[in-house]
Amino acid sequence: MSNHEIQINYTKKDLPKGYLKFGLPLLVIGIITAFFAYQLDPMRASFNNIISLLLIVSVGMGAIFLVALEHIAGAVWSVPFRRIAEQQGFIFLATPLLALPILFNMHEIFEWAHLDVVMNDPILYQKSPYLNTEFFYARSIGIFLIMTFFLFVYLRNSMSQDTTQSQKTTKINALISAPFMAIFAISITMVAIDYAMSLEPHWFSTIFGVYYFSGTFATAMAVLTLITLNLKENGNLLKEINRNHYYSMGGLMFAFTAFWMYMAFSQYMLIWYANIPEETFWFLPRMKNGWEYLSIGLVFIKFIIPFGLLLNRNSKMDPSRLKLASFWIIGAHIYDMYWLVMPTYNRMSGTEGPVFGWIELGFISLSVGIILVFYYLAANKKNHIPIGDPKLKRALDFQI
Amino acid sequence: MSKLYSIAALFKTPDEIMSAAAKVADAGYEKYDVNTPYPVHGLDGAMKLKSSKMGYYTIVIGLTCMSLMLYFMYWVYNVDYPQVIGGKPLFPLPAFVPIMFEITVLTGAVLTVAVMLIFYFKFPNNAHPLHDSSYMKAVSSDKFGVNIEAVDSKFDLEGVKAFLSSIGAYQIDEIYFDEEEVNTKHKILDSKFVIGMFLIAGFTSISVYLHMNKALYLPPFDWMLVQHKVTAQDHSDFFKNGISSREPVNGSVARGFMPYLYSDDPDGASENLVNPYIADEENIALGKRKYLTYCSPCHGDLAKGDSRLRGQFPNGPTLHSDKLLSWTDGRIYHVITEGQNVMPGYKKTVTRKERWAIVNYVRTLQRALDATEEDMQ
Amino acid sequence: MSTIDYTKNEVNVKGNRSLKEIDDLIIAPLDRIPNMKFFIAIGFTSTMLLIGTIGIALSFYYGTGLWGNNNPVGWALPIVNFVFWVGIGHAGTLISAILFLLRQRWRNGIARFAEAMTIFAVITALIFPIIHTGRPWIAAVYLLPYPNQHDIWVNFNSPLLWDVFAVSTYFTVSLVFWYVGLIPDFAVLRDRATGKIKKVIYSIFSLGWRFSNRHWQHYEMTYLILAGLATPLVLSVHTIVSFDFAVSILPGWHTTIFPPYFVAGAIFSGFAMVQNSLIVIRKVFDMDDLIPIKTLETMNKIILLTGTMVGYAYSMEFFIAWYSGSQPEYFTFVNRAFGPYAWAYWTMFSCNVFIPQLFWIKKIRTSIVPMFIIAIFVNVGMWFERFVIVITSLSRDYLPSSWAYYRPTMTDFAILIGSFGLFFTCVLLFTRFLPSIAIAEIKAVSEGAQPSHHEGEDHE
Repeated sequence: MSNHEIQINYTKKDLPKGYLKFGLPLLVIGIITAFFAYQLDPMRASFNNIISLLLIVSVGMGAIFLVALEHIAGAVWSVPFRRIAEQQGFIFLATPLLALPILFNMHEIFEWAHLDVVMNDPILYQKSPYLNTEFFYARSIGIFLIMTFFLFVYLRNSMSQDTTQSQKTTKINALISAPFMAIFAISITMVAIDYAMSLEPHWFSTIFGVYYFSGTFATAMAVLTLITLNLKENGNLLKEINRNHYYSMGGLMFAFTAFWMYMAFSQYMLIWYANIPEETFWFLPRMKNGWEYLSIGLVFIKFIIPFGLLLNRNSKMDPSRLKLASFWIIGAHIYDMYWLVMPTYNRMSGTEGPVFGWIELGFISLSVGIILVFYYLAANKKNHIPIGDPKLKRALDFQI
Repeated sequence: MSKLYSIAALFKTPDEIMSAAAKVADAGYEKYDVNTPYPVHGLDGAMKLKSSKMGYYTIVIGLTCMSLMLYFMYWVYNVDYPQVIGGKPLFPLPAFVPIMFEITVLTGAVLTVAVMLIFYFKFPNNAHPLHDSSYMKAVSSDKFGVNIEAVDSKFDLEGVKAFLSSIGAYQIDEIYFDEEEVNTKHKILDSKFVIGMFLIAGFTSISVYLHMNKALYLPPFDWMLVQHKVTAQDHSDFFKNGISSREPVNGSVARGFMPYLYSDDPDGASENLVNPYIADEENIALGKRKYLTYCSPCHGDLAKGDSRLRGQFPNGPTLHSDKLLSWTDGRIYHVITEGQNVMPGYKKTVTRKERWAIVNYVRTLQRALDATEEDMQ
Repeated sequence: MSTIDYTKNEVNVKGNRSLKEIDDLIIAPLDRIPNMKFFIAIGFTSTMLLIGTIGIALSFYYGTGLWGNNNPVGWALPIVNFVFWVGIGHAGTLISAILFLLRQRWRNGIARFAEAMTIFAVITALIFPIIHTGRPWIAAVYLLPYPNQHDIWVNFNSPLLWDVFAVSTYFTVSLVFWYVGLIPDFAVLRDRATGKIKKVIYSIFSLGWRFSNRHWQHYEMTYLILAGLATPLVLSVHTIVSFDFAVSILPGWHTTIFPPYFVAGAIFSGFAMVQNSLIVIRKVFDMDDLIPIKTLETMNKIILLTGTMVGYAYSMEFFIAWYSGSQPEYFTFVNRAFGPYAWAYWTMFSCNVFIPQLFWIKKIRTSIVPMFIIAIFVNVGMWFERFVIVITSLSRDYLPSSWAYYRPTMTDFAILIGSFGLFFTCVLLFTRFLPSIAIAEIKAVSEGAQPSHHEGEDHE
């Protein structure tokens, strides 16, 4: 592209007040709801807790992944947004808050956490080297520590580059992103297996990790897009950022929506086709007692509508359309996690049909509150653009 | 006399063509074109072109053909020839999805390209006046050009030439065309082309027909059709009488049948055969049914020899005679099987089990008419 | 080891060649009689093709009993070769379509060649479904749904039929995509043609292209649409091929990760094959500037990425085989690693997972000879992957009394060699008769090709 010199005129501006104004009340309502929910119906609260955890991991760990992806691919278009993504990764630090109640409540949710059940069930006994509470704790803690480590390394490198403008930092970032990718692949698979797939411990699907990853990518990108558009409107970003830069964000959300459908269809069709009872039993509760509507709805809500919203080239660049699509994708991800997790709640609590009430709303409020508040904590009074990045000028000149 | 088609001007750099195109558009010319060896960014905007609508064709064509394919598969499986395959339902939507997707992509892609080439570009068109000009040769290689057509409302030979040199053209040509050559109608309807298509279609159909119906029946493709094995009802040179169907070898036994060892040996049957069936209620009921069917016409309903045939046909004797009472079960079985005197053998119509059941029934009747003291109690 | 300057744009085409020089360079191989190297190469590949033809002719004459297929391994080398070649084709579409959508301009130098490889790979792959029944003359008849006097339809439930639709769609769309890209290049050839016959042929194939910008506009949009359609198509084709196996109930075959695993593997082997071919082409035709080392390096990075994805899939399969608690499933994987086909398994594993890791080292990534060798290993490994998947699962499935050891026969290998011969012969003929680099595309990304002032328009 062209090489005329762009001067970077960046003035640091505070975050819009909305993040705290909306985030804090939502968070407080969420915490209070969660507290009461755990008193009144601990099992249902635990399941909702898992949904929130899976969402926050998607948004937070997904953001760290997006940062690493930019480094390892040497991407240029995403550089102006990388700081937002790094700060979005800070949301991942909320995971222990969500994981601890689950870790203390394992016997409510996971039938393999009951030793007597495991001893009497040869299949669960066979899995017990992996599915036991100690290893579960270890995995969760280990994943948290190592991901947080990478988050802080990326943040520190990026912030330091604001002043040093060193090219070496970019190189180091690229180098450490390589092992990160391998660790991330294992971590996200383990999160999906531990918190979602092991709810039905007799069931297994090799694609499950990738299924969760596809939703994670789209959702993390959706949150990134929303924050970017919001900050741009508020004047926190550079004036050179325009529709061209948004195109790839819209494009990636579009692509990973389609990719999610591909994962979901593969998983469903293969299990449907072979018709083996030890695999199909996972889908059967999702096809009766009212769940069948939610299952069909999932296809429309998570695939057809976002696909249509983002199909057009213009829609991938238009801020209002992108905002709608991003909100929709985040909502669809919550819906997807609900669909993954709650049928087990039916089974373990003896209820039938999808449940929705103040507990679900409360935990959604908690999740949204966490996203807003933790982003605020990470980003307030900080630079929102990696002003020292050597690729920044090329990025600002970007044309699709 | 050749007619003027357009004035064509060449430029050297992309920047020049960009500003030239913008100026031509601003000057109000409508029937003009810009020719570049590769697409130059921003030229569409400079020429003020409306964005291309090709995408809409793709979606409409793709979705229409996908629906048609879905309907076709539904029709095949639910209307024309429903059959359960592999235990799958008659409308296996997950199985249809891959095919629906492929058809969408196939028809969307191919037909969009066809629409673009045939309707938008009016291709193939090798008789356009610009072909074979030095302008075309320059533009296909490394130069950029504008050509303003003579039919444009603002066209004026000297004025256009002056305008073009004022905006930076380094070479200006006049392009002429022969009246017969150019033809803005759809080339696709040209008579030679249409005849050519028909000939190709005819040739293809005839050759496919000849292949599928004649050639594929020639050797080696007929090696599985024409086999040297002997088939039923066929002529055969192997056998003396030329018939491939042969009689069974002596001593062959049909399935489900056991050879009867005492065919002409009533005494042997009498001594050796033992009724394998216990005379329980079921067996006697079976025997009764079969007796009334096969035996009663001649021997009477109660085996008294008093059937309807009395006087009209050699009578079946009573089965309560002393002779009969002294016979063993096996002897009676033998008579039922092989027959004697006028009585035919029933081995072809009554199964072994049924014959033994008849024997049990006859024994019941005999006992009934010749009851002992204990029987009466 | 040079350091990268992140502030500078990457140069996609080096040497600052003028547009005319680019024309001359790319078209030169078409105008001159090829040199001795070309004839030696094509002699070699034609011999391989001849060997394959003999193998197929013998198979027709004597029947498929000449192959090693038997109970229990009824699906053997024919399907392994089919999947292998379809996979190789995927890299071409990925380079031409997906990288186009991602606006990776470095693809322009190699897209034409890669698409041609796709088409030839699919042609080579199609040999196998046609011959593997032993009666190829009824292949089309039984595969396409058309009304017939038996009132028999095809089985829409079967993934083998989905394959028919998928691979034929893939072939058609790739051909159309490739041809649409060739139209401007045929026009360039037409305008430079000296001989009368050549001029007529190029005129026919160029359809009368005039380089009009009004046409370029629609052309670019259609190209974008084709790229946008080809992207999910390429993912779907190898997905549907993977469904051939994954819909069964055989342990080692029935696993939900097969679709993305096969696609990643296809891209992996395809890129290795493209990289190998490009290295040969750029040496034979002196196109070092049009296909710079940076392009090859980026391809190697993609090979590394997809190889790692394949490694992830191996680990997931193995972990879930243990996790599932299903004894046949667990046995299948232990059998693969330590049973009679362990030699194939460890070849596959080392070639696919260990050897590509060498590409982390920049020196290896950017040196021609090491990368060439590594890519050959990748292809060997990927062939063995299909071999391991198909044959180990069939040779030892649920019933131990049915277990048997499969050996491919000489005829099987002859046909495999012939497939390589067909592919490379087609590639060599392509380089002789058609421009191996897309002339218009490479001109568009050469230095100074685009106007310097953008005015912030959003155009392609």
